[in-house]
Amino acid sequence: MADILIDPVTRINGNASVRVVVDESGNPQEVRFQAFGYRGFDQIARGAHIDNLCPIVSRICGGDSLFHQVAAAVAVEKALGVVVPEEALRLRELSMWGQLFERHAISLTVHSIPDLLFPSSDPGLRNIISINRMDEDIVKKLMVLKSLGTLVLRETGLRAVHPVNFIPGGAVRDIPGETRQALIARLKEAGPLLIETGRLMKLLLRRNEEVVNALGTDETSCISLQGDNGLAIMGSSLTVIDAAGEVRNNLSPEEAAEKVKESNSHHSHIRGAELAGLGEIRVGPLARLNINGRYGTEQADEELEEVKTHWGFPLHRSMIGHAARILEMIHAWERMIDLLGQPPGDVLRKTVSPSSGTGVGVVEAPEGTLLYRLILDEDGLVKRLFITAPLQFNLKALERAVQESARFAMGGVETGERAAILLETAIRAFAPCIPCGIH
Amino acid sequence: MRVAIVSLSSCLGCQMVFLSLEEYLFTMISENNLTYAPFIVDSKDLSEADLVLIEGAVRSGEDFRKAKEARERAERIVALGTCACHGGVQGLADMFSMERLMRRRYEAGASFDGEPQRVDRLLPLDSYIRVDAYLPGCPPPVGLFRSFLEFALAGTLPSRDGSSVCSECDVSGIGLPQPGPRRATDEPPVAGKCLLEQGYLCMGPLTRDGCGALCVSKFAIPCDGCRGPSDDVLLYGSKDPQEETLRRLVRATGKSPREVQDAIADPAHTFFRHCLAEPLLRRRRPGGTAPFMYRLGERE
Repeated sequence: MADILIDPVTRINGNASVRVVVDESGNPQEVRFQAFGYRGFDQIARGAHIDNLCPIVSRICGGDSLFHQVAAAVAVEKALGVVVPEEALRLRELSMWGQLFERHAISLTVHSIPDLLFPSSDPGLRNIISINRMDEDIVKKLMVLKSLGTLVLRETGLRAVHPVNFIPGGAVRDIPGETRQALIARLKEAGPLLIETGRLMKLLLRRNEEVVNALGTDETSCISLQGDNGLAIMGSSLTVIDAAGEVRNNLSPEEAAEKVKESNSHHSHIRGAELAGLGEIRVGPLARLNINGRYGTEQADEELEEVKTHWGFPLHRSMIGHAARILEMIHAWERMIDLLGQPPGDVLRKTVSPSSGTGVGVVEAPEGTLLYRLILDEDGLVKRLFITAPLQFNLKALERAVQESARFAMGGVETGERAAILLETAIRAFAPCIPCGIH
Repeated sequence: MRVAIVSLSSCLGCQMVFLSLEEYLFTMISENNLTYAPFIVDSKDLSEADLVLIEGAVRSGEDFRKAKEARERAERIVALGTCACHGGVQGLADMFSMERLMRRRYEAGASFDGEPQRVDRLLPLDSYIRVDAYLPGCPPPVGLFRSFLEFALAGTLPSRDGSSVCSECDVSGIGLPQPGPRRATDEPPVAGKCLLEQGYLCMGPLTRDGCGALCVSKFAIPCDGCRGPSDDVLLYGSKDPQEETLRRLVRATGKSPREVQDAIADPAHTFFRHCLAEPLLRRRRPGGTAPFMYRLGERE
């Protein structure tokens, strides 16, 4: 039997294809998630002054630009022992929630909701443009959420794609008081829509129960940053749990960076990543939820209860990742309102004098844990840079989810086209970011 | 109009801007037919189109194949973003050979099933195919993107002539000499005064306008050249980004040319961050990008 090839996989972040190798009796034997085009960002940065590092790594990924910038800035600050003013940290956090909100909104509305809304329609109708033709209102409403994230990101980062406000040592400019109030008003106004969308998402997942239970149900260990009172997007304490939810390890960013073990894939430029001694590990919205147990804000935790009741805890089915995404958006929304309500700062930056050092920066990017390890030479220039992106951790789980989906699709009465749709749906549940994974 | 968006080697930032067109996005998609855009719709093949926006640079044989296919099927092609126009930040990879990049990232002799042909040098789109219009920017500012699309969808392709970021910048001069060369991570500059005169590494005079000089005049953040080289820089060999900035910094700081030059340890990352791969900048004396680039055929 011929292999199944989907090229390109559409409605994902980046260029990739997937090949399912089928054996003689028609069983899916191997799945190859293929993406090529290594751009050499880890090597490009060599020799760069720390001032040039953030704008360079930002260009790894337009959608996650800020997360790369902050991870790099934190690595520089750790290497040089710079203590960043609290106000700047708050502003960074606010901006990151903005970008996470935007990314999740795109991943849900542009990439994934069409599959859940019209599970039996043909591929030509599964996109926001076709939905817009049928019902302008719903698409406009969904895109309002995306715009909201973009707005917060633009005001805090001073630009919505590749922000310019954040530098090693802190930030350049705070948001003026009146802009803060205007943003709070805009956010509050969108509250009911956000909650409504969250419920719609949960409803759609329940309506597609068969798919949820078939496209990626593997149970694996997870890693993410752990916060004191719920989810953390920046921080210095990582937790590893096993599939049953038992804590296996607590790691500092430096220890985690030491343990990262990357290996070549024979069919892709994305290198797989594991943690030595801990084996395969997953990152992302589900991992964050499994580790922290709750979000730490009222509305998000309230909406979470229903998910826990319906699907249990810890959560492993990758399609539930979509529910975790919308819950994270609700959490981000509450955090943004809270952070905007705090007074603007006077001092936002520390002057940074370049010298030698080693530092590790870890942030929770929308797709999962992003790790930067940086070595500066005696002139303070970048000597080595190691980047481990979320997709590298998730690669094996993603391939297994596709294999499981292929078995499900081919075991049933699915036609070729319908099988391909299911495989792509399984991939979208991971919201894989190819530019980050390849870098 | 049948519109398609093709993405080559890129960060997808330009498509993020496309999704940020707000109201106009809805007008645009309902009045036109978006036939191919893997980021947004499911069509797997690029069919005949009236307007194709191509973002990203050519990093592999597969990118070249896609670009060529687009040229064959498109009435008109737009190079979208600084990567497509000048190579972009990823063009800094041209400091090394592809062989070395791959060896250090993977291992000597690593091979991959289904890997497209590697190209030894990253090049902008028009090094491979004819391009009808350019919209540089990393990413292009959303307002500019919108007006560009409005023109393009009405049948006119805007040309790319224009001036430099300084022409849009409303800062004033400052008494010289000033300390420097300085970086954004050093002490903060005085807002409202020319950053280059204050000794900061600002690429404004050499960079294409169209962004409204927001970074510099509104936020006092030095221009990093993300709109790519201005027309003057592309046309005149005497206007080299490095030489010109160094000359202005010598004037601003009152230091010797040698002293100023020695203070900037990473000239390729600083002066050619978004355009190292631009062929028009390669051979200039003095200056040019050739000294920073890996020379094809050379052994390492």
